[in-house]
Parts: sequence; C-alpha cells; structure tokens
Amino acid sequence: MSIRRKVIGTLAIPVIVGVILEAICLAHGQNVITNMKSFNNFVVYTAIVMITTMALSINLNSGRFDFSLGSMAALSAVIGAKISYALLGGGSGSAYLMLAITIASGALLGLASGCVYVILRIPPIITSLGVTLIYEGVLYTITGGKYVMTEVQNVSMSGFVGTWIHAAVLILLIVVFVIFLFDHTRFGYNYNALRSGQKVAVNTGIREVPNAVGCYVVCGALMGIVGFLNAARNTNINGGQLNFGSIAIMFTAFLPMFIGSYIGRFSNDKLGYLLAAVCMSLLNSTFAVFSNSITASVQSIINAVLLVVFLIYLNNEDLLTRLFVTRGKQAGA
Amino acid sequence: MKNNRLFKAIMIGGVLAGAMAFTSVQAAAADLKIGVLVADVSGEEAQGFRAYYENYIADNYDVEFVYTDALEDAAGEKAAIEKFVSQGCQAIISLSSSDRATQLDTCEEYGVYYAIASGVLDDELFEAYKGYEYFAGQVGPSNATEFEAGVKMGEFFKEQGVTSVAMYGAFIPNPMHVFRAAGVIAGLGDTYGGTNDMGGMIGQIFADQKVDPAKVEGDVELCAYLQGYGDTTTDEINAVVAKEPEAFLSVGMATTFFTQILNEAGIPFADIDSFTEANGAAIKEGQLVYLAGKYSSSIGPVFALIKNAVDGNVIRDEEGNAPSFSQGYLVATDGASFDEYYVADNGDTPIYDKETLDTIIGEDVTYDDVKALVEAN
Repeated sequence: MSIRRKVIGTLAIPVIVGVILEAICLAHGQNVITNMKSFNNFVVYTAIVMITTMALSINLNSGRFDFSLGSMAALSAVIGAKISYALLGGGSGSAYLMLAITIASGALLGLASGCVYVILRIPPIITSLGVTLIYEGVLYTITGGKYVMTEVQNVSMSGFVGTWIHAAVLILLIVVFVIFLFDHTRFGYNYNALRSGQKVAVNTGIREVPNAVGCYVVCGALMGIVGFLNAARNTNINGGQLNFGSIAIMFTAFLPMFIGSYIGRFSNDKLGYLLAAVCMSLLNSTFAVFSNSITASVQSIINAVLLVVFLIYLNNEDLLTRLFVTRGKQAGA
Repeated sequence: MKNNRLFKAIMIGGVLAGAMAFTSVQAAAADLKIGVLVADVSGEEAQGFRAYYENYIADNYDVEFVYTDALEDAAGEKAAIEKFVSQGCQAIISLSSSDRATQLDTCEEYGVYYAIASGVLDDELFEAYKGYEYFAGQVGPSNATEFEAGVKMGEFFKEQGVTSVAMYGAFIPNPMHVFRAAGVIAGLGDTYGGTNDMGGMIGQIFADQKVDPAKVEGDVELCAYLQGYGDTTTDEINAVVAKEPEAFLSVGMATTFFTQILNEAGIPFADIDSFTEANGAAIKEGQLVYLAGKYSSSIGPVFALIKNAVDGNVIRDEEGNAPSFSQGYLVATDGASFDEYYVADNGDTPIYDKETLDTIIGEDVTYDDVKALVEAN
C-alpha cells in the first residue's frame, strides 16, 4: 500500500466527519468547538472514549467478551477516591494520587477478573457477567448506593480536567504504551499470535494463560484511568450501579472500535482507535451545540443508528466495492 | 478428643444462642418501627432528613427507622411497602413520589399508617384519598407554595438584571419540579407557550414532559435547559457552561450534582434544596447565590402524625379527613442569611426538637394543635 493511500485512508473518516459536523453547525450559526471550555471537554472526552475502546478491543479481538469493564472503572474509581481523600482530604495532589491508586486498583481488579476466567475455564462472556455483578455489589456495599461526591469534588480534581493538557498527555502516553506493549514486546507478539490462530500459537509453545491474564490486567488498569477521568469530569461516581448498570460504558466504545479497526487497515489499529475517538468526541461536541433540541434519548438513537449503518457497510464492503468497480467499468466502456 | 469437640460445639452453640438472644432483644427494643420510602439517597436534602430521623428522633423516641435504597418507580415503591410490612413496620413515611396513589392503596390494603413528608398530593388526588383510614396526613409545601418558590427565584434574578439564563428541571414530570419550573419562568417575567398563568403553564409542561426552551418567550432568554440525571448529564451541563449563561436556575438537586462544575465555571446559580453544611459552603465560598430551602427537621411533624396514629390518636381535620399542612420555604442569598436558618436547625438542637414535638404527640393532641405548630414554624 502506498504512503499516499495510507495517509488518505487513515485520515479520511475523521476529516469527513469533522467537515460534515462543522458544516451542520455553521448552517445554524455555530461551531463544533465554541470556546476553550468546549475544547477542554472535547479532549477529555476523546481520552475517555479512546482508552475505553482500547480496553474493550484488547480482549474482544481475542474472542473474550468482557462485560466487567464498566464495573472495574467505577469500583477502581471509588477505591481511588476513598483512599486519596483519606490521605490528602481533597488537598493539593489529590488528583494525581487518586489516578495512581485507581490505575493500581484497576489492574488488581483486572487480575482478579482474568484469574476467574482462566481458573473456571468457562466462556468469558459468562464469567465477565458474574464478575460484573460481584464488582457492582462491592461498589454498592462501599458506597451504600449513594453518589460519591465529597471525595472527588475538590480543586485538584477539577483542575485536572479543567485543561486539555492533562488529557492530551494521557492520550499520548497511552497510545505509545499500548503500541509498544502490543507491537514491540514478546507479550505483544504472543498476543497477536494467539489472536490470529490460538491452536497453532499454543502448539508452538506460547503460553496462553499468562497472556490472557496479562490482557485483563492491562484492561483493568486502562479502565481505572477511565474511571478516574469520569469521576473528575462528572464530579461524582454513581455508587448505585446494580444489576448491570455499569455495562453501558462498554457500549460507548463499540462504534469507535469498529471505526478504529477500519482505520487500522491503513495504519495502526491503536492510532485508529484514537482517530475514532476524535470522531466520537466531535459528534459529542455537536450534540452539545444542539443540546436544547437533541435530547439524551435522541443522542442514543443517533449513536445506535450510526453503529448499525457502519456495521452494514463493513459487512457489505466487498459487495459495494464490486458494485462500484463494475459500474466504473461499464461507464468506461 | 471427643470431649474437646463437644466442648467446642457447646461453645459455638452458646455463642450463637447468645447472639440470637441479643439480636432479639435489640429488635424488641424499639416500640415503633417506621419504613421510609426514599427516591433520592444522595441529595443534600435527603441526607439532612435522614440524619434528623436517625440521629435525633431515634435517640429521643422509642422508634426505629428502616430505609429503602433509591426507589425508581411505582413497582419499586409497592414492593418496598410490602417488604416493610413483612419486617413488622407499623407505618410508612414517604419521601418518594413516583406513584403515591399506589403507595396509599398498598398501605390501606396492609393496614399500615402512611404519611407524606416531601411534597403533597395534588388537590384532585388528595380529595380522592383524604378519607382513607390509614392515611395519617401530609406535611410539606403545597403545589401553590412550590410555584411561588419558583416565582421568587425568578424575580430575584430578574431584579439582578440578567438577560440570559440556563435552567435545570431536575426530575420533571415530578409535580413538585413542574410547579417550581413554571414559577421560575413566571418570575423571570417570561411566558411559556404564550401564557404566564400557573395552570396554563404546568399543563403544558406536563404535556411536554420537560421545559421546551423554544416555548419560553420574554425579556430573559432561556439559552439552555437540561433535566434528569444520567450518562449524558455531564455532556449536557458542559454544553450549558459553554453557552455562558448569566445565571443557572435549578428547581432541585443542582447543589448535589453541579456545584463543583458551576463554581469552576464561575456561573452564579440558584436552587431549591435544604440548609445543609455542603450548601453552606456553596453559598459562602462558591457560586450559589440563592437557596430556597427547608430545614432538616421540617419533617418532624410528619413523625408526630405517624406516632399519634400508631398510638391510637389518628389526627383528623374538622371534616374527619386526613390532615394536610403546608410548609413554606426559607430563602438565603448569602452566608449570613444561610447561617440564620442552618445554625437554628442543627444536630442536637433542631427547630423541631423533642420539647417542641412533645406538644403535638399524645392522646389529647388535636388537629388544631398540629396546625398551630406547623404554621408557627
């Protein structure tokens, strides 16, 4: 594939999305990004979507459907919030301490989730449902079903998401880390080999269990960051997410995951997830511009329709290509 | 070895028996057991109410309060009442308003006394249920009072000269929030769907299930509106902040959900909530500039109605129906006026303290006694 085609293929979707959304806003005398505050929100939301998408894709690309991502994010955030508040009382450095604790607790929750999967050896879709219920139950027990607010409402937390810089640094670090881990280490080579052909990879001596557990740990740590960013952005954590109430967070990542995988054909799938997250964030900013007329339920419908349309396109891509090529030839003749 | 095992078994059995006996003694300790239906477990107002019942009333009267988790719908409320009945509760106090008609029917069916401590039934519903045997009454702001609270908030900002505001409709179509929202629009000097009449406005808001900014007309522009709380709320409040309104007017719960965001954005805001420590911080150090609130012990008279009913003195009005008492809102616009109410109603010294409540608890207490006390506070 030529470099020109790679560049065009990689940037086509985000550029087209950006142009269309900006045109819609301009038609109503607005812009997608209206001021510095909306730009900050744009970058923070991009970080949340990108990290969630990466966490979802790591296991899903290996055939492991993990419903527990949302519960890991919420529970690790509550653990981080409670401990950091107990130590610093919401004072200076609270956000950084909470971020560190949240990543660590997220990794531990991921480890536990991974261990349940490899020990029980039953389909991950089932174990992850069980783990979700357990984590939601623990979350509810810790919070009493209440929103956690005092612990995350302080200047340090609001300062973290009050500027685009922190989120941008997180995006950069995570993209570099994930590309390095999955594309340039033995762990990543094994992961890709297992993903491409599990039986062949195992027969060549690759140990599947440590790799799977490692994936869960990385997912947990990533969801810890998501939990932290959501807590800082929302200024609270919902402690009453029982009966799979935490699963919704996972579904926000489906559309960017498919878009990211598509973009990844032209470059790198991790870069694709970042650009897909940019697209989703542009869409989210556009919803904000029209917030008086586009309600939350309408936003959900639009997101769902876009997901279905994109999946229809992906499933019929060859058919469409053949159709256009045939017509082109007929026109040429 | 055998004796050793036998000894252990006797020890464990003894400990368990002791624990069970202790538990039964504990359970038997309270003379009155009341189930409390709660829709909001996190809000400042809800936590203030709960602290008053659990930390003051339960310490001063022989009563145990049992709470639900956050109730979300009518089915949950009905199931909670049935659970309370099975747990031996003699009465239900409602702070949840998804379907109060069903709550009343359920309590009547099971023969447990029922009282409303937050909001009141609308006139039509009250007429239908006021004769129920187990309906002990309702104490709270009437719908007209809710509307008036909204009007005063709107007028406050209108007098400040604002020309563009954002609004949070809380949990519309909850009637309490509908009346407040209509009042705010009227207070700003605007109309909704071409009218500023209370009946005309609330009828349209109920029909719309929200406040439609396009239907608000007048000198003060409603530049942004949101309601409810869920996955998209942060995006919606961020959209509000991006539109840079001169003020953010809420009909409830903004102090719970948005204080930090609005403080950071430097947007003055108003809410109808209660006088709690966190709201005190928001008005003294943050951007909260107007608070219409109840004090935490304002739910004291409801407890008195319930206790009297369970003890055999079911309070009834002159026509023999369940009593309905209206409470007003107190308004704070700065730290000093906030402290005036907060300090007076705090911890061990609530406005409705034991000495005061005892004047309306007893076999000789009448409707007029309760009415006089509620109106005096």
